[in-house]
Amino acid sequence: MARVQEVLRIPAESAPVVDPRRRRSRLRKVALLARRNRLGAVGFAMMLFVLLVAVLSPWLQRYDTNQVFQTANPEFNPTASPLDIARNPKLSAPFTLNRWERPLTRQHWLGTDQFGRDIYARIIVGARLAVIIGIGASLISVASGTVTGLISGYFGGKTDLTIQRLVDAIQAFPGLVLLLLLVSVLEEPNLTFTVVALGFLGWAASTRIVRSTVLAVSASPFVEAARSYGATDMRVMLRHVLPNVLAPVVVIFSISIGIYILAEASLSFLGLGPADQTTWGKMVNAGRNALDLNPWESLFSGAAITIAVLAFNLAGDALRDEMDPRLRGR
Amino acid sequence: MSQYIIRRLVLNVVVLWVVASLVFVTTNLLPGDFAERQVATNLELADYTEAIEEARRLLGLDRPLYERYATYITSVAMLDLGHSYDTKRSTWEELGRRFPTTLELGSLIALVAFSLSLPIGVISAVKQDTWVDYVLRTFAILGVAAPVFFIAVILTLVVLKLRLFQIDIVGSPHLWTDPAGALKLYLIPTIAGGISGGAGIMRLLRSQMLEVMRNDYIRTARAKGLPDRTVWIRHAMKNAMLPVLTAMGFTIAGIVSGQIILENMFNIDGVGRFLFTRLIIRDFPPFQGAVLIISFVIVTVNLIVDITYGWLDPRIRFS
Repeated sequence: MARVQEVLRIPAESAPVVDPRRRRSRLRKVALLARRNRLGAVGFAMMLFVLLVAVLSPWLQRYDTNQVFQTANPEFNPTASPLDIARNPKLSAPFTLNRWERPLTRQHWLGTDQFGRDIYARIIVGARLAVIIGIGASLISVASGTVTGLISGYFGGKTDLTIQRLVDAIQAFPGLVLLLLLVSVLEEPNLTFTVVALGFLGWAASTRIVRSTVLAVSASPFVEAARSYGATDMRVMLRHVLPNVLAPVVVIFSISIGIYILAEASLSFLGLGPADQTTWGKMVNAGRNALDLNPWESLFSGAAITIAVLAFNLAGDALRDEMDPRLRGR
Repeated sequence: MSQYIIRRLVLNVVVLWVVASLVFVTTNLLPGDFAERQVATNLELADYTEAIEEARRLLGLDRPLYERYATYITSVAMLDLGHSYDTKRSTWEELGRRFPTTLELGSLIALVAFSLSLPIGVISAVKQDTWVDYVLRTFAILGVAAPVFFIAVILTLVVLKLRLFQIDIVGSPHLWTDPAGALKLYLIPTIAGGISGGAGIMRLLRSQMLEVMRNDYIRTARAKGLPDRTVWIRHAMKNAMLPVLTAMGFTIAGIVSGQIILENMFNIDGVGRFLFTRLIIRDFPPFQGAVLIISFVIVTVNLIVDITYGWLDPRIRFS
């Protein structure tokens, strides 16, 4: 019906000269998808925004994340006697830190933190970190989970049993405990290590989902056919089974990005995140020191986490509904 | 049926054995041990390698790894979870003292999570695509995306700015000894944990309700003149709850993880904070014990869920 109306609305003379259907089809597909799943469209827009901020962060951040802002102390007196200084400590400091400045000034859009560092710059750099961690961990968990899931589901038997018990054990852990254990392996966890630890944590879940899809696919006639004309296990797995489990794999990848961003934020909040980086989780925690005085650091960084996770969650959900609705609720 | 339960129980024992081994191996992979941390903080100067060796010998940390693993596994099998290096008290005693606190907070969180999410999930589905649905869904989507500590920070801020009550609470009041103090201590973590845990259930329940309400038997129930409420609750919700039940295991694991964060934030002396501090000072026997008990709870909940599942849905056959 909508299509008929759309066709009728186009006057004959304004019809495009070159291949009208081809030119409009892709755009129209996107538009149709967006109209059918408005929430998903919002999610994709937000995701693009977060990705853009992450990629462009060196140009957007304005200041270095560790630059300390201070002002000359008008009361500073280099010749003050120790007695005077004892009476008025301000006399001894040539500079004072611009700490806990309120947001919305020309110099500091989002204010400053307890050491006089620019919160806006730290939020922007945090975006890059969140994206790297989310996508990196998701890639690792999905790639490793696909390999073991394929093996476990395709071969079955003892291999399957062993892998599944390990998966059960990891899933019987509360995630955060295992994560705390893993990142404690290094005295000061760095970015790469955090990503690997997060990826390992997700390995169990992706193995389980890939395995169940592989089981279903392996039972289909075309796999039997491939086997019967003498294809090797390797060939059957890679050429016949793998392409048919790619949809859930892509879906798990996109859905779990938000989960990893959230998990890393929790780690950083507890003080066990990547030691040498500026992360949103650390900022929420640092801001709690002056919640009564100036809550903005906690609020901005917490909101940043929420927005990033929301963006990836909504986009992932939309992708799942399009590609593989059966995975809903897993 | 009983055969299925026995098989699952055996399987659970295997899983717990793997968990125990995994904890043992990872804790021993960590840099530094209790002896080192303790001596290094107590003696700041001079050569303390000898003191560390002495402390290791006293704690039995000098024995080879496989030997310690053997003692560890056999004692775990006999339900002996060892003694804390730090306080010398048994793990059971240390955990037993903190378990009531964690259980109190955990059940309060679960209570809030379920009493928020079940009605909201049903209402949101019944009023699909009205403004009520939009508001509730936005709330749920935000609840899933926001980290639990951020929700707690916002609630703390509200309490601070409106001067609702004093937040600095000394000691650890219990619900039955000092209900007013305990409620003050638990209020923010309970609501934060409840929102965070309930949001996921609400989304799942809503999508399940929508799916179920498309079924023919719902139309039949309506057609034979049942009141809406009966159709929604007796016919739709009962069927929509199945996958929600499956999510229970995950929800409990999530609440436990959230509790580690919340207990640390609000200085609540429960198992979550205990777990965290034990890890930091490398006091492993109580840490391993706590992890095992939590895993036991999760595994058991999953088993109960699976059994209830078959009981609720007779089409499911146990094999």
